[in-house]
Amino acid sequence: MKAYWQLTLAQLRIFMRNRQVLFWTLAFPIFLMIMLGSFLGNGNGVSVTIGLVDQDHSPQSKQLAAMLKKNEAISLEKSSSEQEALSKLKKGDVQLVLQVPKGYDEEMKTAAKGEKPFTLPVFYNETNMAVSQVGQQLVYNAVDAVSKQQADYKPSVVIDPKGVEALNLRYIDFLVPGIVAMMIMSNNMNGVAGQIASWRERGILRRMQGTTLKAHTFIAAQITARLMLNGLQALIVLGVARLVFDVEIKGSWLTLVSFVILGTLAFMAIGFIIAGIAKTPESAGPIAGFLSFPMLFLGGVFFPIKNMPEFLQPIVHILPIAHLTTAMRETMNVGASFMNLGSEALILSCWLVGAFIAASLTFKWE
Amino acid sequence: MSSQEPIIRVEHLVKRYGEFTAVKGVDFEVHKGEVFGLLGPNGAGKTTTLEMLVGLRKPDKGTAWIGEFDIKKHLERVKEVIGVQLQSTTLFELLTVEEILKMYASFYPKHISIPDLIEDMILSDKRKSRIKSLSGGQKQRLAIALALVHDPWIIFLDEPTTGLDPQARRTLWDIILNLKERGKTVMLTTHYMDEAHVLCDRIAIMDQGLLIALDTPGNLVKNLQSDSAVEFRLPEGAPVLDLKEIEGVKQTGSHKDTQVLYTDNLQQTLTSLIQTASEKDLKLTDLQTRTATLEDVFIHMTGRSLREG
Repeated sequence: MKAYWQLTLAQLRIFMRNRQVLFWTLAFPIFLMIMLGSFLGNGNGVSVTIGLVDQDHSPQSKQLAAMLKKNEAISLEKSSSEQEALSKLKKGDVQLVLQVPKGYDEEMKTAAKGEKPFTLPVFYNETNMAVSQVGQQLVYNAVDAVSKQQADYKPSVVIDPKGVEALNLRYIDFLVPGIVAMMIMSNNMNGVAGQIASWRERGILRRMQGTTLKAHTFIAAQITARLMLNGLQALIVLGVARLVFDVEIKGSWLTLVSFVILGTLAFMAIGFIIAGIAKTPESAGPIAGFLSFPMLFLGGVFFPIKNMPEFLQPIVHILPIAHLTTAMRETMNVGASFMNLGSEALILSCWLVGAFIAASLTFKWE
Repeated sequence: MSSQEPIIRVEHLVKRYGEFTAVKGVDFEVHKGEVFGLLGPNGAGKTTTLEMLVGLRKPDKGTAWIGEFDIKKHLERVKEVIGVQLQSTTLFELLTVEEILKMYASFYPKHISIPDLIEDMILSDKRKSRIKSLSGGQKQRLAIALALVHDPWIIFLDEPTTGLDPQARRTLWDIILNLKERGKTVMLTTHYMDEAHVLCDRIAIMDQGLLIALDTPGNLVKNLQSDSAVEFRLPEGAPVLDLKEIEGVKQTGSHKDTQVLYTDNLQQTLTSLIQTASEKDLKLTDLQTRTATLEDVFIHMTGRSLREG
């Protein structure tokens, strides 16, 4: 027991004194999260910048601008001349230009009496069709609202959209659990493989084998120290996600912690296998990279697994990372309980047991 | 002080690495309280023998007894009573001297006072320093401290002074002699003759996996039955000289292209050698004389120098 605590303490000291490793293992996930979160973070919605050229300067034209502004997907950029607005459109600074010609206010008053409707020119760039179309739709909605108001129109049928998950999910909510899973994978799989291979190479393990220390005490201490470190790192990442992006954890902390532990153990076991296979510490890195890289892209860390090509699906569904990300995501985003995530827990446990058996068969002190 | 009571009994140990047999069946006993040296060139099987005794390698044949424990059956008990310093061990470089000693102490059921141990190994001012910052000699003393932390009966040291500067070697010799004074048994390997001579009560010479001699350093030299050696070189392509015909020569030896004559009558042998050389018109180079040492014992027995591969 004394040996177990001393070894755990020693490993924690080594982690804490290895500042560079500590910093970069944490900086990478946080950097990735902030980068991706800032670029793609505003949910699935598309935002359109519309250049508005108001030549009328009337209460009517201001009302139209206000109507457009009300829509969160639109950001308005006012231009003084049509020419300036069009050059911005060509450069791609704005996706659409709406011109309100002089006399709009006047015309509106007469148009209300049921004559020919007033025409507002909308310019768009054909090279950016998708956004232009969304933008046109948005402008149309605004204009439609104005004209209905004008005509005192009362709708007889309306729709009421309801998400089945009843959630308002943004990309960042999807991303954060994936990032935590990625961190658990790379810290443990790559970390264990590299460290154990290097300790073996340098004879550190061999020297310990010359004492009465038992292998299971050594491994238990490794696991404890890494669990503590991972727990702390996951907490920091979640804390940053909360502060910067307001990402919430809907499920229970207990479920989340259970999956952090399960994931850590499974990937550590895989790390021990790699350390066993690798002949030199130099080869441990590439082997771990070979395994972790595809998992990063196939395992649902950055994109939903559904988006993977059909032929990859069977492979994707056995990867441990896929189940870890799913479990983390369901817990954090949906608030699933541990019971709901039984199959994920089961598959991760299978990986854990299988990998530990393989690791104990391939493990060498020297 | 050393007694005749055996504390290590080695019985016909054999170790093979694939086709190559590193240790070809060695038998010897180490007495309680002595400093026992395993001497031999690189690849003689010294380290393999030592590593079998401490349980790091499984013998293919034979066994050894440490105290009453068989190394094949009671390795756990053996590990409690032995302390090991291995060749080229590195330690956790980011820990301090005190931290690593505490950690190793925790691996054993009992241990000695760590501050005392640090003082004995002359590491007091490095107590809080990280291992990374220690010098070669300090690292080696720390490795010995780790071997002593659980107060073992026997300490195994594998080439403890290799790679150290002369000052650091002397310090380490004092430490080893001090261990002996305290009644510990020390078994060490070395390929330095002077070291073996100063430290060891008895020496086993190994060559190519076999034990070729075992005695006190004094007796080993005495068995040469000569107290002086004459060394010289002959020019290339010189006719073969029957060195035994030179007066006073008891034994001859050679390593590389240097010839060695062993004699009890230096003056007679030298005169005769120079005379013979002049008669045959041979030019002797690098002629020198010296007292016979353990090195000569080794050259005589194997025909090779210790430092050769």
